[in-house]
Amino acid sequence: MKKTLWISLVLLAGAAIAVWYFKSFPRAPTVVVYVSHDQVFSEPILKDFEKDTGISVRAVYDTEETKSAGAMNRLIAERNNPQADVYWANEPIRAEVLRQQHIAAPYVSPNAAGIPAIFRDPDGYWTGFAARARVLIVHSDINPRPTSVLSYTDPRWRGRTVIANPLFGTTTDQIAALFVLWGDDHGRTFMQDLHDSGVKISPSNGDSADLVARGAFAFGLVDSDDVVNRIKQHQPIDIVYPDQGVDEIGCFIVPNAAVLIAGAPHPEAGKKLIDYLLSKDTERKLALSNAAQIPLHSGVTSPAELRPIESMKVMSVNYAEVAAKLQAIQPFLKKWVGGG
Amino acid sequence: MEKRLTLAAAAALLAVIGFLPLLTMVTNSFFVDGLFSLKAYQALWDSGRQQLVLMGQSVLLSLYVTFLATVVGVPLGVLLGKTDLPFRLTLTVLLTLPLLIPPYVIAVAWFAVLGSGSWISSLAPETSKYLSTAYFGLYGCTGVLFTTFVPIVILLTIAYVGAVNPRLEDAGRLVSRWPGVLRRITLPLIAPAILFAAVLVFLLTLGEVGVPTYLRYPVYPVETLTQFAAFYNFSAATAAVIPLLVVTLVVLALEYPILHNQVSELRTVTFGGMRTQIKLGRWRLPLLGIVSVWGLVTVALPLAVLIAQSSSLSAYADAFARASDSILRSLVFAIVGASLLTLLGFFCGYLIHNRTLPVWRGIDALTLFLFTLPGTVVGIGLISLWNRPISNFIYGTPAIIILGYLAQYAVLPTRMTSTILDRIPRSLEQAAQLCGTSWFTTLRHIVVPLARRGLIAVWIIGYVFCLRDLGVSIVVYPPGSDTLPVRILTLMANGTPSLIAALCVILIVVTLLPVGAVALWSGRDRIGA
Repeated sequence: MKKTLWISLVLLAGAAIAVWYFKSFPRAPTVVVYVSHDQVFSEPILKDFEKDTGISVRAVYDTEETKSAGAMNRLIAERNNPQADVYWANEPIRAEVLRQQHIAAPYVSPNAAGIPAIFRDPDGYWTGFAARARVLIVHSDINPRPTSVLSYTDPRWRGRTVIANPLFGTTTDQIAALFVLWGDDHGRTFMQDLHDSGVKISPSNGDSADLVARGAFAFGLVDSDDVVNRIKQHQPIDIVYPDQGVDEIGCFIVPNAAVLIAGAPHPEAGKKLIDYLLSKDTERKLALSNAAQIPLHSGVTSPAELRPIESMKVMSVNYAEVAAKLQAIQPFLKKWVGGG
Repeated sequence: MEKRLTLAAAAALLAVIGFLPLLTMVTNSFFVDGLFSLKAYQALWDSGRQQLVLMGQSVLLSLYVTFLATVVGVPLGVLLGKTDLPFRLTLTVLLTLPLLIPPYVIAVAWFAVLGSGSWISSLAPETSKYLSTAYFGLYGCTGVLFTTFVPIVILLTIAYVGAVNPRLEDAGRLVSRWPGVLRRITLPLIAPAILFAAVLVFLLTLGEVGVPTYLRYPVYPVETLTQFAAFYNFSAATAAVIPLLVVTLVVLALEYPILHNQVSELRTVTFGGMRTQIKLGRWRLPLLGIVSVWGLVTVALPLAVLIAQSSSLSAYADAFARASDSILRSLVFAIVGASLLTLLGFFCGYLIHNRTLPVWRGIDALTLFLFTLPGTVVGIGLISLWNRPISNFIYGTPAIIILGYLAQYAVLPTRMTSTILDRIPRSLEQAAQLCGTSWFTTLRHIVVPLARRGLIAVWIIGYVFCLRDLGVSIVVYPPGSDTLPVRILTLMANGTPSLIAALCVILIVVTLLPVGAVALWSGRDRIGA
């Protein structure tokens, strides 16, 4: 009797697992999205998309902070047998790398019309939306304030500055952008001066922001959402938009980017998701949430703590060139981080 | 014949699950755009000096952690497994908790204890500043990984001191007191187990990425991570793994002869005999105090901080709203993974125990090798092999996660089963064989019933490791099918501390569920008997 009961239980459990296993296969209508934007902020948007369209979303999340072999590497590893329909990149350089590696497919969304051309690929391989600005986070006690990324090399701040590891994320993007603007020689000189200034390398922008807020460093170059979070926590920090003078290079802007994947299993659902991500409504939600992203469509409310994109001097740079430069200078950056 | 066929099938299955993905990954690293190329290896060779420094730092960290874990873990294991110390089970569970939690969670919890904003900083700001500064670097990494991995030494010591033939100790007691018996008989007999534990701690520390990254201590595995995360270069990443594989193989090669030449001395011929127990006498309470304080400081304190951070209903409501599906998935994956691990481990362990096929040594080495590889490497290997249209039914479903569990954790059930079988007299099986009983019948009616308690322990260990897995899962989980540790990690970026703390507490509770159930069940069993 006892044995029969056990066998029945095992069979029942096996059947339940089998049903659940086969239910886990994709069911139409479905869209598969790989997301590099923080899950805390991106998941509610995707849930709203499910509610509004009836299309089920299956997501793979990644985070910039973990730097793990996540979404981007999976896309590259899966290039011969794509599983994803859409990649929601948290910066456009990864999107550009996908275009260069023939993993992205062109799609010009009708909702891309209101987004400035500088934040879009001209052929529609990626489209930017909801951006971060690269700004200086400065401890409140610091006076006078730094005003430029070149302040890092000012002897006044020697040993008192911090920057996130330039091998990863938006810091790499910005260094590559500076190389594009200034040329290789000037770029290398800046990096050498940065090294000689005794700058502290932190694992992420979030760590840099925390170190400045704690008073361990005078200032650091971080993303605008890192600053907004600390402002909301009433930490003793201020925000400085760098290089806003007439002859200066402007503030580097890092939009999110939506990419349709070549050979996507559900391309139509993928296009609908991209339309949704590029809408004014999504930009508004991302601006008003703790993600504090700056809308790229005009007329959409910006986060209260940040300037709207129109009232900022923006660094004029071609993101495709930045992506190419980023790959070219990686061996140099690797040596730089290693102290060489 | 059926015995050899079954064991050969188990060995072949393990090779397909564990070895083939790595082989595919390494083979791919020799090809660029379909043409043979050594470019990735040339680049690695060119940056030799930098790699050497990083490897030196990795080895230094591993040595520190291994030394501390062994020096502290062995006495604790003897105290908990061999003496009449009060509350042994409770203390064992308490000291084992860190092993159940992903190491990065422990690192975060310790920062909450030591960093700015902690109660230490409000009581003694200067001390907090000093501790906080020291925490970020080699000392912090050593501390966190030591508290994470010391349970391995404790548990293996407990398991093996219980396997020592009591007659040898009784004979020793005729001429010496317990300290002398421990020093001259018990500890030398379990030396291979201690060495095995030390090797495991060394290799697990060597492959660890999350804690050194969080605490800003540059180590070699970060190099492979950099290749994956910053350069998107799979060949270079695979090439960067090779030095790590070489160090792992060297350590295993050194460990092998020592372990396998001495292990026979451990076998208990008096199966079912009574364990001898050390009576602590007047040392009972002082030692209880020392162990309790150790447990409170190294385990309870960071966990208490997590619980305090999560102590609101809204945090748990938010946690369940955001992660109930991940919790359920983790449970199902861990139950399936643990069951298959127990089955596969049983046959592989039997193969190693009986040395039925000449490949037993290869299987033993392969399982240990796979266990010590970083999870991301195993994951990328799995993608290399299984991500094809023809095998989408595996790659596109949770089956890929289960394969990852089987590859990464096969060593645990295999070695545990081998040890359990060591304690079952061979004569029982031989007698059944002489009576003409088939091998499966012998297993069903003799071996498995005698090994039942051990196999339940095997299942629990498999369950715990599958449930806490992060390295493999984060790389291969199918879209929409993340597990709880993955969800915690992805929510850690800008998630509220109370939400993260609540999810960590849920992970710990879910992990402890079967341990509690089995403790209750075995308690009832004992009363019934």
